[in-house]
Amino acid sequence: MERYWQIEKMNLKYHIPVHVFVSILMLLVSPLFMGVANLGSQDTAKVLEMYVALIGIVLLPPVFLPEQEHNIRDLVYTKYLNGSTVYLVRIFGNILLLGILLGLYIGMLGLNRCEFPAGRYFCGTLAEMLFLGGLGLFFYGLCDNLVAGYMLPIAYYITAMGGGEKYLKMFYPFSMAGGSYGEKIWLAVGGVVLVGAGVWLRCRRGRKESQ
Amino acid sequence: MLGQLFIKECRQTTRSLIFWLIVLILVWIYASQLGETEIKNEPMPGQESYGLQISQDPELIMRSTLKLLTEEYFQGNYTTYPVGFYKNVTLNEEENRRIGEILEATAGIGSREEAGRMVEAWYGADSEICLEPAEGLTYDQFNRLMDEVDGILGGGSSYSEQKRRRNAKVPMTYEDAVEEYRELIEEDRLTGGYARMFCDYMGIFLGVLPVFLAVARGLRDRRARMQELIYTRKCSSLTVITSRYLSMIVMLTVPVLALSMVLLQKCIIYAGAAGIGVDMLAFVKYTCGWLLPSIMIVTALGMLLTELTNTAVAVLVQGAWWFIAMFTGIHSLGGGQYGWSLVPRHNTEMNWQGFHDGFGQLAANRAFYAAAALVIVALTAFVYSQKRKGKLGVYGKILANRKNES
Repeated sequence: MERYWQIEKMNLKYHIPVHVFVSILMLLVSPLFMGVANLGSQDTAKVLEMYVALIGIVLLPPVFLPEQEHNIRDLVYTKYLNGSTVYLVRIFGNILLLGILLGLYIGMLGLNRCEFPAGRYFCGTLAEMLFLGGLGLFFYGLCDNLVAGYMLPIAYYITAMGGGEKYLKMFYPFSMAGGSYGEKIWLAVGGVVLVGAGVWLRCRRGRKESQ
Repeated sequence: MLGQLFIKECRQTTRSLIFWLIVLILVWIYASQLGETEIKNEPMPGQESYGLQISQDPELIMRSTLKLLTEEYFQGNYTTYPVGFYKNVTLNEEENRRIGEILEATAGIGSREEAGRMVEAWYGADSEICLEPAEGLTYDQFNRLMDEVDGILGGGSSYSEQKRRRNAKVPMTYEDAVEEYRELIEEDRLTGGYARMFCDYMGIFLGVLPVFLAVARGLRDRRARMQELIYTRKCSSLTVITSRYLSMIVMLTVPVLALSMVLLQKCIIYAGAAGIGVDMLAFVKYTCGWLLPSIMIVTALGMLLTELTNTAVAVLVQGAWWFIAMFTGIHSLGGGQYGWSLVPRHNTEMNWQGFHDGFGQLAANRAFYAAAALVIVALTAFVYSQKRKGKLGVYGKILANRKNES
């Protein structure tokens, strides 16, 4: 356990502060251009699904970034501890951070007299964050390219905005605003699969390069 | 030298995974959004409805806007969309009092109770509701007071200049529908209208996608450990950056032009059967005039920020800009109100009149972004030359260099 905590401590200290700062900034500026008080459940869902969930793209894909340099990656893969364990600890830590930030934001909405089912919206938004981030992580792992890791989730988001319900079906991310919750379960499952596949691809590539 | 480098860079771009992902996304967008586009037929007499149209009649604008204001004044809260997201604004006593004064001056409603009585009467009414403006109120006075209301509400309300011009909606008659169709066939020569709609859809994605190519290209030298080697070459920084920039612009424009040919072909087939003369170059003209400045500015900004920081921060900056541009443009989908948006909207093949009226605004918008892009490219070349001289640190980060010096 101590070992995992050390990995997470390094992650928090060196790798993720800028991304956490950007996420916090995104949440802090939201009241400047969107309503965060006296909202009904539909409008609250819109804020959470269309805006707050975007921090999933900021916080999840960069977990592979510290080992982007091939020399560092080679060194890491020679260590006793498996590379995938390091990634999974970081991912778990970042999901926890997403949960904390989302929880605080939902708490703020509640204090501002927004009326919505907090628990359901928390889980639904976290599922969307996981899917958006997982999509980025998967393509980062697949292409070994951070830019691809940012591009695909953003393209998915824009597709969803442009009447994507017809094409994305159960993976449509803005379903809560329309009163439907089933899609969130698909997104959560899809997110977990994508994260797992992304880590697997990354480690596979690492092993191949070391050989 | 520039020509040789340009060709080399184009070859590099064709080997870039990000470039092909962008092409794939553009093809998918075209297929999903425009793939099933059917060319509009001439309206027939006796149709059940010809749709709604926005009236520019000042009298109607005043009536419908004042009705909205009366309702919101009575309810005590106001709906605004500062960047496309819903915002419920509740005013303090003094601000509410000022709104009351404005409502009295424009509609003769002296108190909240009187506003309430009117709203209650409207709920039961079957016929078209309208609120007569106060006697002697001119359109100029009305506009000035509504601007003040919008200012009190923080912008993005139904009383802003942009929105109040769209408040008065009236049913379209057969004659109106025929006139609009005539504009599509005669003024736009069919292809002009569809080229605008094509630009609308593609512009959404081209407001952000080029940044990924620019960032990937900017980071590639460092990744391949070629940065120092290129720095020592004879070629000037301006030539290196310009060749990269031009290659990205050309390589991004080519797939867009290729996709536009599919819709052009549809138009030609329809026009051939209907005996309509089309403008064969409309898609090329619109792509160059409408979409190219977007590609230019997004690519330029991506290059500059990547050269400055050696990170993918440009993705975040461009993402934020795109997000704001998209959501603020959500209320001008019908075209004609282009403003200074990065993503001008015209989500219809019709409304030639709106395009015609807003053309000056659109031209200024596009020219501004194209000029700004060129300035940013020059700035990128300057940053690049400083890095070559070692003034911005080995890895190009300003802060990293400061650390080294200390």
